[in-house]
Amino acid sequence: MTDRFTLARTAVRVGARGLAVLAAAGIAAAAVAAAALVPWPDHRAEAPSIVVQPAETGQVRVCPGPLLSIGEDPAAATTATSVGATSVISGALPADATITETPLAAPDNARADADGAPLALTTEPGAVDAGMLAGAQSQTVTRESLSGFAAASCTEAVAESWLVGGATDVGRTGIVMLANPTAVAATVDVRVIGETGPIDAPSALGIIVPPASQRVLSLAGLAPNVVSPVVHVTSTGGAIAASLEHSVIEGLTPAGVELVGPTAMPAPMQVIPGFVVPTAGGIAPADDHAEGDDFPAVRLLATGEEPAQVSIGIVAEAGGGGSTVDVTLEPGLVTDVPLGELDAGTYTLSLEGDGPFIAAARATTGAPEQQTDPDGADPEASVDLAWTTATMPLVDTAIVAVPRGPSPVLHLANPGGDQVEVRYTLDGEERSLTIAGGDAASADLDDQSVVELAGVAGVHATVTFSGDQALASFAVHPPGPLDSPIRVYPR
Amino acid sequence: MFPRVTAILVVHRGGDHLRRTLAALDSQTRRADALVVVLTEADADARELVSAASPTHVVELSQRLSFGEAIRAADRILDEPASDADALWLLAEDSAPTPDALAALVATLETAKSVAIAGPKLRAWNEPDRIAGFGRTMTRLGRSVALVDDELDQGQHDGLSDVLGLDPAAILVRHTVWRALGGFDPALPVVDDALDLSVRARLAGHRVALVPEARVEFGGSGVAGPETGSRARTVRRRERATRAAQLHRRLVYAPVATLPLHWLTFLPLALLRSLRLLLVKAPGSIPGEWAAAFTTMFSGARVPRARRTLKHARTAGWSAVAPLRMQPDELRRRRQHAAEARRARARGREQELQFLGTGGGWVLLVSVAASVALFAWLVGASGVGGGGLLPLSDGVAALWRNAAYGWRDIGTGFVGAADPFAGALAVLGSITFWAPSFALVLVWLLALPAAAMGAWFAASRLTERGSVRAVAALVWAFAPPFLIALGDGRPGAVLAHALLGWLAFAAFGAATSWAAAATASLLFAAVIAAAPSLAPALIVAWVVALAVSGRAWGRLAMLPIPVVALALPLIIDQVVRGNPIALLADPGLPVASAVPSTWQLALGFPDDSWGGWDAFFDGVPNVDFRLALTALILPLVLLAIAAVIAPRIRRAVLALGVALLGFATGVGASHLAVATVGAAEIALWTGAGLSLAWLGLVLAAVVALDAVRRGPALLGFVAFAGVLAAVLPTAIGIAADRVAIAPAAERTLPAFVGAEADNDSRVTTMRLTPDADGSLRATLERGRGSTLDEQSTLADTAETLSAADEQLAEIAGNLASRSGFDPDAAIREFGVSFVLLDAPSDDADRAAVATAERARTALDGNAALIVVGETDFGALWRFVDAQADAPAAQIPANAGGWQAVLITVIQLVVLGATLLLSIPTGAGRERDRGSSVRRATLAAGSDLETEPVAETETEPVAETEPEPVAGTVPEPEIAEPTESDADGASADLGKEGDDDR
Repeated sequence: MTDRFTLARTAVRVGARGLAVLAAAGIAAAAVAAAALVPWPDHRAEAPSIVVQPAETGQVRVCPGPLLSIGEDPAAATTATSVGATSVISGALPADATITETPLAAPDNARADADGAPLALTTEPGAVDAGMLAGAQSQTVTRESLSGFAAASCTEAVAESWLVGGATDVGRTGIVMLANPTAVAATVDVRVIGETGPIDAPSALGIIVPPASQRVLSLAGLAPNVVSPVVHVTSTGGAIAASLEHSVIEGLTPAGVELVGPTAMPAPMQVIPGFVVPTAGGIAPADDHAEGDDFPAVRLLATGEEPAQVSIGIVAEAGGGGSTVDVTLEPGLVTDVPLGELDAGTYTLSLEGDGPFIAAARATTGAPEQQTDPDGADPEASVDLAWTTATMPLVDTAIVAVPRGPSPVLHLANPGGDQVEVRYTLDGEERSLTIAGGDAASADLDDQSVVELAGVAGVHATVTFSGDQALASFAVHPPGPLDSPIRVYPR
Repeated sequence: MFPRVTAILVVHRGGDHLRRTLAALDSQTRRADALVVVLTEADADARELVSAASPTHVVELSQRLSFGEAIRAADRILDEPASDADALWLLAEDSAPTPDALAALVATLETAKSVAIAGPKLRAWNEPDRIAGFGRTMTRLGRSVALVDDELDQGQHDGLSDVLGLDPAAILVRHTVWRALGGFDPALPVVDDALDLSVRARLAGHRVALVPEARVEFGGSGVAGPETGSRARTVRRRERATRAAQLHRRLVYAPVATLPLHWLTFLPLALLRSLRLLLVKAPGSIPGEWAAAFTTMFSGARVPRARRTLKHARTAGWSAVAPLRMQPDELRRRRQHAAEARRARARGREQELQFLGTGGGWVLLVSVAASVALFAWLVGASGVGGGGLLPLSDGVAALWRNAAYGWRDIGTGFVGAADPFAGALAVLGSITFWAPSFALVLVWLLALPAAAMGAWFAASRLTERGSVRAVAALVWAFAPPFLIALGDGRPGAVLAHALLGWLAFAAFGAATSWAAAATASLLFAAVIAAAPSLAPALIVAWVVALAVSGRAWGRLAMLPIPVVALALPLIIDQVVRGNPIALLADPGLPVASAVPSTWQLALGFPDDSWGGWDAFFDGVPNVDFRLALTALILPLVLLAIAAVIAPRIRRAVLALGVALLGFATGVGASHLAVATVGAAEIALWTGAGLSLAWLGLVLAAVVALDAVRRGPALLGFVAFAGVLAAVLPTAIGIAADRVAIAPAAERTLPAFVGAEADNDSRVTTMRLTPDADGSLRATLERGRGSTLDEQSTLADTAETLSAADEQLAEIAGNLASRSGFDPDAAIREFGVSFVLLDAPSDDADRAAVATAERARTALDGNAALIVVGETDFGALWRFVDAQADAPAAQIPANAGGWQAVLITVIQLVVLGATLLLSIPTGAGRERDRGSSVRRATLAAGSDLETEPVAETETEPVAETEPEPVAGTVPEPEIAEPTESDADGASADLGKEGDDDR
């Protein structure tokens, strides 16, 4: 009897304790489940910030100045001297804004007094919006050592630019022009990368460019016998507007000149609009013995650490099917890729890669052999050279100055998916142009005019000139990021 | 002529007291000739009894008057005394004389004509062998002292005759003298009325005599003299009345020339005595102390009237009473006696923990060794940096300034409340005052042993077993949230974890001791200061503790006072700003952390790292380390849950409740981000909540292990081994210094700026940091750079920008752009001398790199700046026109205004008072509340059991013993031998008998 009672008591006790443990474990499990399953509300603080619109500042554009020639003066065979003056045209929106032209000091050019110096175009702070000042220059030379037509836009001074073009093998001359329009001395490093990799040139590091002046370097002095150079210019202190003069002599005959402006910054996608191929012909992309300048080609450099696969899409501006060239870029090695046989016409090159790279395309008006060959059919044959650089997408509005030159054409490429309607003002008359997504268009311009563009957000634009013994192009640049609004968190 | 004795009986309520008093009057051998009864607001019962006694007169008073006033009212209806021999016998309802009392008193007056007042021997009601009062005197300084106080009556004082004063009850006063002296002083309603009357009688040339043969049982119910008893309220009221009476008499007795001096010393004296009251753990008497000082200082005409009365009757000089005062050697003897009694009472409490006896020393040794092994690379370093660690301000003054309300010297600066955490940092930095930043190294090196010891002591409140205490200490010291916080460099979380164990220890003792309660309240403040996210959970725990603490609630109630004093300015600032949730923000440098999943939280990992196990098992296929990790933590959780079957279920439930609260805090924290840095939002650190959860688990496991009869050590060490294995990757990471923190120089800015700061301590650097989405973060750093104590959650959690912030953004945005903005505005507005552009981190996105390039180009091209060069911290520029000691860089004078002074004073007073209260000088002063002594007694043997007798000794020092022995306090220590399933071998003396099943 007692035993049974004790037993029952024990059973009750054990049962109660078991229930207690179960209850505690249940509460624990429920707590974890509630934490995991119930969608508790979140509270996330918003960081306060304001978008700062930088105070308006005077817009500055730098025109590279007259074409230079090395060895023009027999007494000073290594110095560059100018050959003739350039014609500069500038414009701004609003059109009545005062544009001040300030010549920069050009201590490296002995004839600067006669031919003129690089010009800094400035406006008063607030007179024009960012990007609404444009200038361009052009020059035709016919010398024993230099002939052809060159045009360039006046660009903003920046801290870093890539110049794709030039060559320093036999008959090719490259001159790097570094203009510092700012009030601060610039310390500039110029690095040249060739087809065999970066070229060691200590003398090009730490070049001081004084305020408001231009320094000139001979590319051959930095990197002799390079077929495919790319010039990387970086500066600290003042900003630099860099450009590269590329001239060719076949034998004893000058065979073209071009002023190459900075190309678009490294990116996995580049667009080269308005690539003019004046004469049909070319070399197959696979031909790795291509020499000389007289075939359409693209110069590429992968700037990353990894090899880049780049696919080059070549589409005629007029429409119709295109072709594609695939190349593999080794990092740090410049590659010139012939674009195959192309019909004469204007093309849009779309380059897509799996790593950042830079690009520019080259074309000539004809083979120099036509002149120099003793049997040459036509000593007067047109020979000039042009580099068409990759461009940056424009913001909504832009302004283009068109200098003197033969048949200027504005080429517009719309790599985006959406159709855009571009409005432009020509001769005070507003016109419009509709470009479907992925398509391109062009408009003939008058020389020595200023064209206002609107509705061009995301559009790439280039101005080309082509004529007898004349081929040139320059990119239309969006304003640099320096003036754009920036979000600031003051804590 | 036969003297006429009129007995005046003051009655307030009826009942047993009155019945016995009336009966005793009736049975006097020498009966009073007349009986005047004064009814003061008397109840019906009293009226009935009084009318049954058929008094000569009944005086009805409709209000409750003091004893002296009631007598005066009765005296008014009496005739002029016929002769000097006529006398008044002043009785209260609770003074029952023995039958021969009046005869003895009258005999004294008759035999000695010079005796004006005769007093009986007052004995305790219902305890006729204890003396309740037998004469009164003053010390030389005028304090009223009972000649005999609560002693066993063995006739040892029957030799006393001439005394200075008496207690009011049952004294026989010559009616003529009564009239001549004007009766009791109305300004002494409760205490010292009879003493004062006696003194005046003495000064008028009469004598005051004690009559040992006249014995009166006295109830002390407050009708005559103060109410006796040890209830806290009664004691407080009595002490206040005593002090007020003493101060009043001081003003009345002092020479007129010294009156202003006395008057002026009242408040300083009250302050000093308050400090002393804190030290002797009698904080309840402090308000009475001040009230007494104020009411006496501003008592109107009472002092002049009393002085006139005294002067009127006075015939002798003060020297006449000097021999009757208590002599200094007697006073000293009494003090020694009291101290001895206190010591005796305190004995037996200190040894209860048996620190060395149960292996505490070994645990300390192990934890120190573990700390040295983990932080070997930190030994010898002068500072520690990285993660959330910055140097501390260079001077102690600056540390304390940053801890006080006023100018918050961060960014553009503003006036506002300091984080309570800055106060904790100021305390730490002041310890190593020669190099405040070194304090952080000490914290990092000592955190592990300190945490282990805290848990050991907390566990010692729950178990006698050394092995279980050791397991608790080690499991607590190797808690995942603690080690991860150490590795991440989170000073708040580290401090909170190191102190939580101590807080539990102190809170366990808070119910029994003011010192422990004050210590607990300081730790409570420190923990909440270090980890504000714990505040809700701790407040809930506090409310629950209050609810179940019974009569100990008074001490527990003070727990949040210091933290409220510290945090109130911040609370007000945040509430006014409409952002009260921001009060939870982790103080110190905000450090971003990845929000953990619920699984990680449940295992005690406060970030998404799985305690380093993910990296450990990286690339090992087919192993789900998460399950293994869960299996390692599970033994501890199961042990904690098993606590519910232990005999002390209440403790188990409370401990598990704490664990649940902590887990809820952790989960809540994972859903909150209240602070921002630059563009980034800073999630609340979940580790603080997890630390609390871990504490609950550890305590519950201790309860469970304590109840296990065999092998608790084995079970405990299994749980510990699991925890140790779980944190092993984390520990290895710390030991190899693969963590965010590293020994650091005391610099957060380039040396060039540091050199400038030597000359100009306010040299200002604008720091630009490219941020995630191409934005820019701009901050200002003064001197050698921002310090940990300068950080302010008020700044981190602001949802809007101040005008100064907007201006800073404007200037910074323009400096980072090509702009027509006048760059020298930076100098004018903020006194900027340098601009530092942080290099974007290696994994920064393109937008940040582009922003860095843009800013660099703009700064390079700015003619107002000259390049200093590349530094370890980024590119540095200097303003051409930078000014030394730029006016805009200075802290505005008088930034906080009067509020700063007021708030700081209040905070210092509260903290100082708590600190004084926490100093354990009160050993033995506080009434022992049971358990600890009894348990120690049982443990140590029976020799201590005779000690409590000492409590009955006289203590002349005013002393509070606010609470009687607590019967219902739920403190674990309350020892009341309970049934125990165990065979009694365990020391389980817990009291929760009801809860056992």
